[in-house]
Amino acid sequence: MFYVLFCKECKQTVKSLVYYIYVVVFVLFITSQMSSEGSLKLQEPQPGQSYYGEAVTKDQTLIMEKTLANLMQDISRNLFATYPLGFYKGVALTAPEKEQAQEILERCTGKSLEMLEAERNRYFGQYGQPTPKDAATPLPDYKVPVREGLSYGEFEASMKEICSLVGKGSSYEKSSYENKTYVPMTYEQAKAEFDALCHQDRITNAFMRLFCDYAGIILAVLPIFVGVSRMLRDRRAKAQQVLFSKPAPAAAIILSRYLANLAMLFFPVILTAFLLQQPYLYKAQTLGVRGDALAFFKVCCLWLLPEIMTVLALSFLLTELTDTILAVFVQVAWGIGSLFGAETLVGSFGLHLVTRWNTLGQSTLYAALEKDLWRNKSYYVLLAVLCVALTVAVYDKKRGRGGSILWKNMQN
Amino acid sequence: MEKYAKLTAGFIKRQYYPHLLLVLLFVTASGGFVSFKGLSETQASKVMEMYAAFTGILLFTPLFMPEQDGQIWDLERSKATPMWKLYLPRFLLAFLVFVLVLSAFLGFMVKGGGSFDAFSLFWGACCEILFLGSIGFCASAVTNQAVIGYMLSVIYYAANIGGGKYFGNFALFQMMRGEYGTWPYWILGATALFTLGVAVRERMALR
Repeated sequence: MFYVLFCKECKQTVKSLVYYIYVVVFVLFITSQMSSEGSLKLQEPQPGQSYYGEAVTKDQTLIMEKTLANLMQDISRNLFATYPLGFYKGVALTAPEKEQAQEILERCTGKSLEMLEAERNRYFGQYGQPTPKDAATPLPDYKVPVREGLSYGEFEASMKEICSLVGKGSSYEKSSYENKTYVPMTYEQAKAEFDALCHQDRITNAFMRLFCDYAGIILAVLPIFVGVSRMLRDRRAKAQQVLFSKPAPAAAIILSRYLANLAMLFFPVILTAFLLQQPYLYKAQTLGVRGDALAFFKVCCLWLLPEIMTVLALSFLLTELTDTILAVFVQVAWGIGSLFGAETLVGSFGLHLVTRWNTLGQSTLYAALEKDLWRNKSYYVLLAVLCVALTVAVYDKKRGRGGSILWKNMQN
Repeated sequence: MEKYAKLTAGFIKRQYYPHLLLVLLFVTASGGFVSFKGLSETQASKVMEMYAAFTGILLFTPLFMPEQDGQIWDLERSKATPMWKLYLPRFLLAFLVFVLVLSAFLGFMVKGGGSFDAFSLFWGACCEILFLGSIGFCASAVTNQAVIGYMLSVIYYAANIGGGKYFGNFALFQMMRGEYGTWPYWILGATALFTLGVAVRERMALR
């Protein structure tokens, strides 16, 4: 019976307009993002290159110098990017607050804001670059020297003061500046990274992580609509009562429905990943590396399947429970919040729904963080299982009552 | 007149009030998500275009919710009353709430002591958010599914974050880049989509 129900659900999904929109939007999004990646130009670093990319540094002096450069820029623009509840919140300080922030900057650098701005303008001027006066992103290679004798403890205390002015979720929080300060790599570092990319990740695994980074963004939102639409279909077709009277157990109905939708959602993801992986397999060959042909399946199952499972399961639960489209609002907010709330674009998985790895490589960092990723994904698999179990329970309860368990006659 | 007032009241009571409550929550919680203090022109545009923009989606997409019930839809089709007369009061209600919400956001920003041209910002935001809302409205009208309306408007919003260049003059988030001249396109697009939505419903009612 389960197999019959599963097949029926798959057929239902294929007939759904929402599903086609899902497929088209997913493919358009992922191909547009991946085509802009110049990763196929991947080459072994050579001694004497002017730039080898960037890596996170733990050097305290560098952390202070780069953080102060950002602080100078933020005070200069009077715009501090914060993520208090996961969403971006641009904070502009009032005149007295700005003055206080300037004092803190002066205390840490020993120079006034005007002097620092003039130095910055001179620095960029010598390279013929426009002054990044309104740049929203941190200045890539600019640093502000710290005042002589400034200890790391004093610096931390000053950044705490800045945090109290701009509020929660800024880049002046310890966890942020200690994990997000990037510096240019040396040749040796770049070579070690390249070797790890070729031998640890066999190139395709690294590429698939980048694919999953982009796919994870859109998959935090799109499956919601498929799930909500499916759960409301019986109600719209006035088939709920007929289904309630069938002998099939609630678990068989909900599980077959869930697994069929999950399979249908995951299929285009896997297919797109497989197709996009092919040029990288070839690229690996040209570099003398035996690429991992199954990377598309393994990496997608680890990174994307738990996310789709959770998003779909929660949309099932909320829709079954309320008989409304509440899941759309709740989950879109959660998806966007999780995306904007990421402390960094590479790593820092925590319990974020959207796990980011917006780079090709950094294989040694990935090896160090892999346990965190497994913890994150295990958590979401468990959450999905719990949501499905609760959906079964809600469905069973509704069946017993013959309709909604929250209210009567609510229209969708 | 009394008939339409009654119909609209019924619409609010049975389908629309959760959306109005959600909009109220959206406005009251806004202080936690965005800052209204001392905003520059770019920052004020960001609040309107990236945050307040959701108001358009929340208010205009669910206007065809009653007709998702086949029986209600059949009943409405059997009546002599043209569809547009049924939808106009709902649209006006949504529009009124929409203007109030945008005024509230503008009020918060003016009170916060920003330096921006309030009229240009308000007018530009009205046109842009109406356009975004009209996408959900039209998609709901054509497919008779509010879920698809929400889906397409959210996708359009998200697609504009990184891919605005593909949408030409109809791209969102222009004011954040200092471009205030695209409002005629937004208002034109909104008018076309709202009209198309109602026209499609009229056509569907005749079948």
